Amino acid sequence: MARVKVSEAEKVYILHGIRDDLRVDGRSCEDYRHMEVETDVVSNTDGSARVSLGHTAVLVGIKAEIGKPRPLVPDEGYLEFFVDCSANATPEFEGRGGEELGIELSNTLYRVFNNRSSVDLKSLCISAGEHCWVLYVDVLLLQCDGNLYDAISVAIKAALFNTKIPRVHMSSDEEGGKEVELSDDPFDCVRLNVESVPCIVTLCKVGHRHVVDATLQEKACSVASLIIAVTHRGTVTCAKKMGGGSLDPESIFEMTEAGKRVGKALHAPLMKLLQQEESLGKKRQKVGFLG
Amino acid sequence: MLKSKTFVRKTRAGGVLKVVREHYLRDDIWCGSEACSECKQESTVLQEDAIIESSLCPYPHYLVPDTNVVLHQIDVLEDPVIRNVIILQTVLQEVRHRSAPVYKRLKDMIQAKEKYFYTFTNEHHRETYIEREQGESANDRNDRAIRVAVKWYSQHLKTESNTDGLKVVLLTNDQGNKEKAEENGLVVYKFDEYVKNLTANPELVDRLALSNDEKAEITSSKVLFPEHLPLSKIQSGIKSGTFLQGTFRASRDNYLEATVFVQGEGEDTTEVLIQGLQNLNRAVHQDVVAVQLLPRSEWVSPSAVVLQDDGAAKDDDVDDEEEKAVISEAARKPTGKVVGVIKRNWRPFCGMLNLSQIKESTRHLFTPADRRIPRIRIETRQASTLAGQRIMVAIDGWPKNSRYPNGHFVRSLGSAGEKGTEEEVLLLEHDVPHQAFSQNVLSFLPKMPWGITPEDMVKRRDLRHLTVCSVDPPGCTDIDDALHCRELENGNLEVGVHIADVSHFIRPGNALDKEAANRGTTVYLCGKRIDMVPELLSSNLCSLRSNVERLAFSCIWEMNHKAEILKTHFTKSVINSKASLTYAEAQMRIDDTSKKDDITESLRGLNKLAKILKRKRIEKGALTLSSLEVRFHIDSETHDPIDLQTKELMETNSMVEEFMLLANVSVAQKIYDEFPDCALLRKHPAPPPSNYDILLKAAKSKNVEIHIDSAKALADSLDVAKVDGFSYFNTLLRILATRCMMQAVYFCSGMDSDFHHYGLASPIYTHFTSPIRRYADIIVHRLLAVSIGADITYPDLMDKHKQSALCNNLNYRHKMSQYAQRASVAFHTQLFFKNRGILNEEGFVLFVRKNAIIVLIPKFGLEGTVFFDSKDKAAPSLVFDEQIPGVSVAAPDAEPQAKKTKLK
Repeated sequence: MARVKVSEAEKVYILHGIRDDLRVDGRSCEDYRHMEVETDVVSNTDGSARVSLGHTAVLVGIKAEIGKPRPLVPDEGYLEFFVDCSANATPEFEGRGGEELGIELSNTLYRVFNNRSSVDLKSLCISAGEHCWVLYVDVLLLQCDGNLYDAISVAIKAALFNTKIPRVHMSSDEEGGKEVELSDDPFDCVRLNVESVPCIVTLCKVGHRHVVDATLQEKACSVASLIIAVTHRGTVTCAKKMGGGSLDPESIFEMTEAGKRVGKALHAPLMKLLQQEESLGKKRQKVGFLG
Repeated sequence: MLKSKTFVRKTRAGGVLKVVREHYLRDDIWCGSEACSECKQESTVLQEDAIIESSLCPYPHYLVPDTNVVLHQIDVLEDPVIRNVIILQTVLQEVRHRSAPVYKRLKDMIQAKEKYFYTFTNEHHRETYIEREQGESANDRNDRAIRVAVKWYSQHLKTESNTDGLKVVLLTNDQGNKEKAEENGLVVYKFDEYVKNLTANPELVDRLALSNDEKAEITSSKVLFPEHLPLSKIQSGIKSGTFLQGTFRASRDNYLEATVFVQGEGEDTTEVLIQGLQNLNRAVHQDVVAVQLLPRSEWVSPSAVVLQDDGAAKDDDVDDEEEKAVISEAARKPTGKVVGVIKRNWRPFCGMLNLSQIKESTRHLFTPADRRIPRIRIETRQASTLAGQRIMVAIDGWPKNSRYPNGHFVRSLGSAGEKGTEEEVLLLEHDVPHQAFSQNVLSFLPKMPWGITPEDMVKRRDLRHLTVCSVDPPGCTDIDDALHCRELENGNLEVGVHIADVSHFIRPGNALDKEAANRGTTVYLCGKRIDMVPELLSSNLCSLRSNVERLAFSCIWEMNHKAEILKTHFTKSVINSKASLTYAEAQMRIDDTSKKDDITESLRGLNKLAKILKRKRIEKGALTLSSLEVRFHIDSETHDPIDLQTKELMETNSMVEEFMLLANVSVAQKIYDEFPDCALLRKHPAPPPSNYDILLKAAKSKNVEIHIDSAKALADSLDVAKVDGFSYFNTLLRILATRCMMQAVYFCSGMDSDFHHYGLASPIYTHFTSPIRRYADIIVHRLLAVSIGADITYPDLMDKHKQSALCNNLNYRHKMSQYAQRASVAFHTQLFFKNRGILNEEGFVLFVRKNAIIVLIPKFGLEGTVFFDSKDKAAPSLVFDEQIPGVSVAAPDAEPQAKKTKLK
């Protein structure tokens, strides 16, 4: 992952700041940087969102395609993730440099999102055992400035909110052959319920304290971090430790509590924002990447 | 400005795809009106004083028809009176999507300068583009787009300096659309309302197609036909095999009977018989229909009755009678009923109007010239003018509660019985392209004066010194073959067939070539010729006239005196024909022993060889068949036929024919050797034995036996089939034998494996000798030229699929031209008899049907149906026996007794 070199003096400065709940950019330990969310930015997807968090920028596009349900869960659709680390983000990603990170990120995303408590997978089923919707979630990293997981999770939630799946119904002819029939009204589509879709909060252990939304410098001072997926009710759906250092149980507990608090507080304004944007309808001015 | 159009589409694999297209809006799309000073357009289409005499819109106005008006009322829009019309892009696209023929007609109108039709690309105009809204159907969106465009136009034209009140009138037949347009303050009328108020042109009303609500009033509420199934059901039925899809062919003789040809796997087709009005279920000749087979117990055999639809009086009883008849199991054929129509193949039909009995009635029945088309009900106020004229009528629809389809009047072709009119009818009915050649086509003709240049000579042999002559029927101007024969030093004979080098003038792919390929063949009517290539080529540059230098394609053989070919040589050449003779002239020269000149000697040599060739051919089993061909002596002033005689065949006819056959066979072999995959050949399949039924029955009636095992056996048994005191019997049998034959067809060698020509008893055959009048010969010329290195090839020539498609067209055109020819002869025969009164001639009975006999009069080549029950006389009681085709007249007090059998 993208890294910056930080000198010992700088480290001490950052560490002392965090100890006093005052970070280099003026935030307190549980504050996020400025975040921008915009949905419906890529017209040829079924749902898309762009999120920038500080200088981190990600783009998520969702394509819905008809596929076959997995044999073990015949009445559910599923999600597929792919993370593309663009060489735009950092020169390290050039060639196949971003591959490892991409796989790591997408594996985590599977664990967080592809389960029935996060997304209503049953609503993706068209006919049990035969047809279901598969949502291909493509994540594109455009710029890396720390805290990728949080930014990606917010973008995925926004994109899922934005996703419009064409309404289909199964028609069966006399011999029992089934065929998918499409409504000819392009506005006739299904929306997903994203209320319980979790957001990821990454907590970095810096010195004796931990911070959310760490910048790259802060990250460089941290030895270990904890990733927690939190729903709007504050339920933790997934936790994962990252980094080479160790965490004692005491601080894991503390960090989980802090993550729940922060995560819960993240959902309400996000949903409000998304609904606001939606209600603008056609009057909405698209900003895009150049805005 | 960029917009994007988004829609979802189902893919073939069953997936769902979201498609996004970029859509650019512009502000430089002009209105096209002469009256507009605001738009920076270079030229305008719409006139400023767009006045049409209308009581509804006395002011100048432009018309904007909506999609349905264009689709259904194209006949009216095509009238020269309707001008200054704005065709919106929305309408154009929808029309294109819904009906290709109407789209083409619309495009033609837009291109015609004198129609002042303007296409306004409203979908790309910044101010008239609209996006589909939530809950709006595609049709509603398009209607709204039309309204927005009309609104824009009316405001656009208003704001300008023009004060003469130029308005835009929206024409729609949709009530909802009309109301909404009125709310928006637009001038809007229903189409029929508008047309009815065109004070200067009341005749346009007749051309209005009936819209749905009107149809309902016309007919009684009694449902006559079963409902057609919806398309989705038909498709699933065809998939599962419960229904069969095929082309509907109505019977010429019996309007209650039809056959559906179902294309099976590969080549084989099954025929399904359909009988009875209910089962025919409103299908019209040539429609693609879905049929359901009836249970085997209900299968019937084709009826032996000749039935013409004279009205509704007697039709239903006939069916009942039919069913009572005992039908032998073997004669039964698969029988079915039409459950739905997949594709209508309606075209405008030519025919005559039957005036309604009620004087004031505006609804009349129309009888098409083609007997296979049902009568059509049309509405017209000019019935009295149209009676006695040949008119064209288009079908609009056939509701299930109407005995006849409903249609509307398209145009009048002129009064019936007049030669020009009848010829027009004939050509239209047989789909013969007969319009004058376009400028584009003519531009590819060689520039006159034309001469042979040194470049032309590079790959040609100079044969100008040879004594070449041509032999043709009298009055022939398109001479495409010439012959020569001379003795070589080694004692052998050199025989040359020289064919006009048409492919030198018609280069592949240009407009001239395409036009010729489409026409396929020259059509010869009595006293008229519809050329395949422009006259400059057909009667001048390509015609091998005497004493001029002409380019030719020569096939030269070295033969011994037993007419065995020793060497064959093909070359492009230059010839100078020494004489253009008629068959009679050539015959006279041969017979006149005092003549000793080169031409005559050459002819004698040819004649001698031809006799040997013919004998050999007949030994191999070639058939000599017979059909009656009639020639008219046409009055040079009035162009009316004054006398008529059947064509006589002379020795010289068969002399020319023999060498043409030989050339064709030689060329066929050559091009097939060179291009086994893409040679254009001609085959004549052997007829299935069942085809010979009529011939066998006829022969049996005179106790003559005919063998049909092979062509040879047939030819031999025909030769010995003679009855004392009935010399015409043999000719009659040959006429019947001709009717048993299959059609000879062109095909591409790469697509077929059976090359045999049954009639000529040749393993391979093609057409090489008449490139002026047949397109197939041009292709064969090109192939041959490539194979001898005299010309270059081009991709389409080597593409067997393209060639196969071309063959289909040529076969179709060829068949149609023959039908047209026959119809033309029949018409002239009628003209001939018009002033002749009653004549007594000898005639022969060809077929016997249950209620009629079909009689042939050899002297006039005339064939007609004689009904037993005519209007004023009651039918004699008859007993019809299917097995011995003969009719017994029941004597009042005796047992039915076989009457004279079939022939005479």
